[in-house]
Amino acid sequence: MRLLIDIAVAILVATILGFSTAWVAVEHGRIFGAVTVGPWTAWPNAGGPDADPYSVALLARSGEVPLGADEGLAFTATTDSEGAPLSGNCGYRVSGQTPQARLWTLTAYDAAGRLMANAARRAGFHSREILRRADGSLNITVSPEVEPGDWLPIARVEGFQLVLRLYDTPLTTATEFVDIDMPRIDREQCG
Amino acid sequence: MKRTLLFALGGLLLGGIIHIAVVFMVPYYANRDAWAQMDTFGPDDEFHVLPLPEAGAEPLTSLDPRMLHAVCRFSLSNGPVRITAAMPDEFWSIAIFDRRGRNVYALNDRSAERTRLDLAIITPVQMAQLRQDPPESLETAIVIELPLGEGFALLRAFVPDETKLGEATSALRTADCAGSL
Repeated sequence: MRLLIDIAVAILVATILGFSTAWVAVEHGRIFGAVTVGPWTAWPNAGGPDADPYSVALLARSGEVPLGADEGLAFTATTDSEGAPLSGNCGYRVSGQTPQARLWTLTAYDAAGRLMANAARRAGFHSREILRRADGSLNITVSPEVEPGDWLPIARVEGFQLVLRLYDTPLTTATEFVDIDMPRIDREQCG
Repeated sequence: MKRTLLFALGGLLLGGIIHIAVVFMVPYYANRDAWAQMDTFGPDDEFHVLPLPEAGAEPLTSLDPRMLHAVCRFSLSNGPVRITAAMPDEFWSIAIFDRRGRNVYALNDRSAERTRLDLAIITPVQMAQLRQDPPESLETAIVIELPLGEGFALLRAFVPDETKLGEATSALRTADCAGSL
């Protein structure tokens, strides 16, 4: 009897442990191969043929269609440069240089990865339509309130994310990600 | 005490096995993966131009709203697939994915060095047969060998502004993924 109970407990513990850790891992996904530059993170191999099982599981769950190696690389930011989570109640300034790429787009999504409705009907900017400073750097304001200049509107949601997609960039074939310039994300005002 | 420890260890080990099994099984039970989302677009073996992604109306998860997309689900089980399209001068790219949504091949306009896209997707087995008697029509195509059963192709065309949407749409409408060479 004691033996049966022991076995039952072990199996129960194993099942709970196995399923819960698997769920956490797949929900979080993308454990391996992350490239982080400041607040930006990319997973160059997550969508490729050599993707690890966690990335494949995440792909299947999200239904996302990743960028191929010859297409480009997507960097996602969920925090500002100080490490604080991006909040739809705050304004942010995205400024600085972007890595070499033929074309890039900056898009705002909500925490679940969906586009956010806004009155300006703008979901993002691309590299050829922004105003640049004299040194060529970008200067985009991400805010729920109307701002002058390049204004990327967001909804007043709890958390949001910014995705910088670099199209046709030498980074996709890079073996090392050192000394690459990514824009800063600085919080301005909240309220 | 020793016995309990032994069972705890066994439970941990079994938990690890279950963890691995679950992670590997997830793709087979996912009903909202990219392939499944494409069910609503229309029949397989032809390209479907998707509307520009907008808030509340995104045809697929996390698409770039500044790109116009067209997708085609295909199967190589009945023979090779030929993908052709007359693409615009702006940035465009094509990516081939396997059934699980893993990217297995990608090409952009600059590396294609042409605006007329012409791709032949062939399995290694079909390739071996074709080598005996290569059809002339293949000479203009970029031939790629992929060990795929089912898969899908995604075309992306950059839309710099709304005035270029018509051009991009008509370009993607020329896209074809016929099942013959």
